Amino acid sequence: MQINYKLQDKFDLSVFLPALFLAIIGLIAIYSATVNHPIASGNFQKQVYSAIVALIAFFVVYSLPQQVFKMFSVPAYAVSILFLVLVLVAGKTVYGSKSWLNFGPFGFQPSEFAKVALILCLANWLTYKNRDINNIKDIGIALLIGLLPISLIMLEPDTGTTIVFMIITISLIYWSGISLFGLFVVLSPGVVVIASLFGTVVFIISLVLVIVALFLFKRDLFNSVTVFVINLGASFFFDYAFRILKPHQQKRIESFLDPSMDPLGSGYNALQAKLAIGSGGFTGKGFLQGNQTQLRFIPEQWTDFIYCVIGEEFGFIGSILVLIIFLVLFIRLLNISGMAKDRFSVLVIVGILSLMFSHFAINIGMNVGVTPVVGLPLPFLSYGGSSLVVNMIMIGIVLNIYRNRKLHT
Amino acid sequence: MNDTNFGSIIRRRIIFLAIILFVSVIAFRLFNMQILEQPAYSTKADENSVKPIYQTAPRGVFFDRNYKVLVGNKPSFTLRITPAEYDNKLTPFLEAILGVPEGYINRILKQNEQMSKYIPRKVAKDVNFKVIAWYEENSSKLPGVDYVIETQRDYSFGIMGSHMFGYSKEISSGLLQQRRNEYSMGDEIGSSGIEKTYEDILRGQKGIQYVLVDSHQKTIGKYKNGEVDKTAIKGYDLVLSIDKDAQKVAEEAFKDKRGALVAIEPSTGEVLAFVSAPEFNLQDFATVTSNEIWNKLNSDKDKPMFNRATMSIYSPGSTFKMLSAIAALEEGIIDTNYRVSCGGGFQFGDRFFKCLHVHGSVNVTTAIEKSCNTFFYQLVLKIGLDKWAEYSNRFGFGKKSNIDIPEESPGILPTRKYYDKAFGVDRWPKGILVSLGIGQGELSVTPLQLAQYAALFANYGKSAKPHFLKGYIETSTGKFVEVNPKTFDIYISSKSFDVVRYAMFKVVNGAGTAGNIRLPDIQIAGKTGTAQNPHGDDHAVFIGFAPYENPKIAIAVIVENVGFGSVHAAPIARDVIKAYLQKNNTQQIKKSEYLSTLKGEEGEHFAN
Repeated sequence: MQINYKLQDKFDLSVFLPALFLAIIGLIAIYSATVNHPIASGNFQKQVYSAIVALIAFFVVYSLPQQVFKMFSVPAYAVSILFLVLVLVAGKTVYGSKSWLNFGPFGFQPSEFAKVALILCLANWLTYKNRDINNIKDIGIALLIGLLPISLIMLEPDTGTTIVFMIITISLIYWSGISLFGLFVVLSPGVVVIASLFGTVVFIISLVLVIVALFLFKRDLFNSVTVFVINLGASFFFDYAFRILKPHQQKRIESFLDPSMDPLGSGYNALQAKLAIGSGGFTGKGFLQGNQTQLRFIPEQWTDFIYCVIGEEFGFIGSILVLIIFLVLFIRLLNISGMAKDRFSVLVIVGILSLMFSHFAINIGMNVGVTPVVGLPLPFLSYGGSSLVVNMIMIGIVLNIYRNRKLHT
Repeated sequence: MNDTNFGSIIRRRIIFLAIILFVSVIAFRLFNMQILEQPAYSTKADENSVKPIYQTAPRGVFFDRNYKVLVGNKPSFTLRITPAEYDNKLTPFLEAILGVPEGYINRILKQNEQMSKYIPRKVAKDVNFKVIAWYEENSSKLPGVDYVIETQRDYSFGIMGSHMFGYSKEISSGLLQQRRNEYSMGDEIGSSGIEKTYEDILRGQKGIQYVLVDSHQKTIGKYKNGEVDKTAIKGYDLVLSIDKDAQKVAEEAFKDKRGALVAIEPSTGEVLAFVSAPEFNLQDFATVTSNEIWNKLNSDKDKPMFNRATMSIYSPGSTFKMLSAIAALEEGIIDTNYRVSCGGGFQFGDRFFKCLHVHGSVNVTTAIEKSCNTFFYQLVLKIGLDKWAEYSNRFGFGKKSNIDIPEESPGILPTRKYYDKAFGVDRWPKGILVSLGIGQGELSVTPLQLAQYAALFANYGKSAKPHFLKGYIETSTGKFVEVNPKTFDIYISSKSFDVVRYAMFKVVNGAGTAGNIRLPDIQIAGKTGTAQNPHGDDHAVFIGFAPYENPKIAIAVIVENVGFGSVHAAPIARDVIKAYLQKNNTQQIKKSEYLSTLKGEEGEHFAN
């Protein structure tokens, strides 16, 4: 048995290179969006430094012994919960959300690191020996592990990150093999809540569909009624929660339902982003030539709306190229999850995939106007040190798992 | 523990498909936006960032019939402040230089606070050139302050013409609603007189400069290097029928008087001189009209803003006697042999209608020449109200002439219907018709109508709609385009006209009431009048034309509250006629030639 230490055995370029390319494209776009900006013109340089830090972090994480992740999963989770509490007490408010912690000149978002901690901790819990994913107690605890950071982030409040945490939690439970009925119990309250946003009629239709589904599952009456009551309770709780939301958040949700309602308010960004992308055409207006970008019609474009810089200046070709690079990355992550040597590693990769994909889907969706405007960065591309460093750390974890996958014969 | 389901192939495939599906949706969406709908998005994006800056075009200027400038243009400097770059500490300094009250600049900046602070605000219009010269020297110390050059009307060409030229005003919001495609807020639009009638050809085409602005409306640079910019195109210059010299004489004659004068070229209807006195200074309306000036003009008891020449209605007085004369001659009711004995008045029912003198036996010629009331009291009764009104209507009374300025009154021409309505059928007071015979009573006419009436006598019932515009000069080609309204004929025999015209000739050149204006070299024909005025002293009226043969000018003059027409109105008419005709010597007919056309005894009469 000869172990062949070729580079591709230890290091997967089809994961690393897409991430690197995306980060470089991000830097180009950030440069374009900020070079003429009176306040943000230093952001390109800051992002270059962040990229260097992120690369170092990547190699450090890549080189760690694999047991470290499982070992530190619970402490990391505990520490991140601590930080999430701390940020609510002593955090800095940026764009209506209390999500930043400052240490002297450095600031970071605890929720970025909590994402990784949640993935590690939940993966650890779900793959612990004798876990039964269809046992109501085990599901409950798994959900609680997710709900603890979710509720803290809701209080910041940060809608986008909340959604991402929910997707991560559900993806891991799903991958662990939950039954269809179990998944239904977990998901249906969410569906009913979203349906309630579209008015009473849609809400009632969704409740009827829940009853039909419960009938088809042919469970006993007690189970069925319990699930229905959970659904009803969740929607009433949400209605209450909606009322205590800050007006700007209510507006965001409402402007998603009717984007034409408020063209200069929260719908403004979405509209301007669409104009930027649509006017880019097939080949784009050229680097530094986009009117929408250079004339600063999209506020804070270098963060959540970085994709429309690419859409405007590099057109359909540039936009599709970014899509393809993401697609390569996601498919490769899905492949590697199948190569991992243990279930913990598999779930960690699935968690990372679900995290990156949900960021990608929500961010690009809002840039092209198919999802609501929620503050979420586009992985690797958006300006922001914490985000870039954490994303590269996750790539580091994935390649670490890849390096330590089942030994080949 | 459910081993079979953990990361099963099915679950893997579902995730795989979800990813592919979502990316496909986004790719499809991008295809739609960036390829299929790209033109629509581009247009909207350009609207965002490309801002048109409009430059007002200079209005066309007014020339007189000999291409002398009547109304011109001159530069006007407008001082602007761009708040984003402006230093508020400069305010007291600027206010002192501009001579505006303290707090003036702050008030203007406050008014527009909701606009982007990168948009310049117009702070002072029509700024003195000295201020601009001072600005040019000190502009480096005045951040955020600049000026733009616009044009304004220039009225420094020696005549007023306030009522015919009219003025422009900033377009009202109501009008802007109707004409949103042509005008934008702050644009000037012709508001009265010729400026209003010919607004469409006078205003020219705005220039447009396209600039790129950012989301704060701050100008970043030119759009497409100015390739699609349009330069402003000046409006068409108007050639008016006014004769500047005659106009000047007319205006000077009306200094310190109230009244009106209209002179017309009989064969064409072209207005040669046009005065409504008192005038007002149009220069006050060239830029921003101060409230002070508005209030002063509006509270003036002489009503200087009111166009007396076309809107004020007067009794025509004795000038209306020719109307009865021509109606009676044309209808065959009388001929030149018909005589009436004037004993100083006329008894009608229980009322005695006075004549100014005892004229003895008069025929139609002498009755006009000496303005005998007795003759016409009786004549109008023979004609009857209906015929009288019909002839009045043919001469243009009781209706608008449709002259090419918007301000015009139709006057009042009483008819059977009018009196039935006023008094009831068959319940008219006696003597109504008798008063009409000498141009008093309910009949009311405008000076313009009287001028047209004079023109019809001058030219044997043929004329054209009175008008100011001879033609215009197309800016792009420099070509003169003539405008000629259709001529019309009121179809009255020249035989009847000959009689009345001759009588009018004798008013001036015989033993008539206007002998005081006789000229050695120009034969004027005319008729004096004194219009009774229920509100005060009588108005002096004169209508006339000259030269008697082949007339070139017909004129009507009314001077308010001064008494007899012969004393106060006729000399003004004479001076204007003289000013107009003397330079057109070639068109005059020599006295001897004229005399030969006359018959025996009357010819001798003239020779004196």
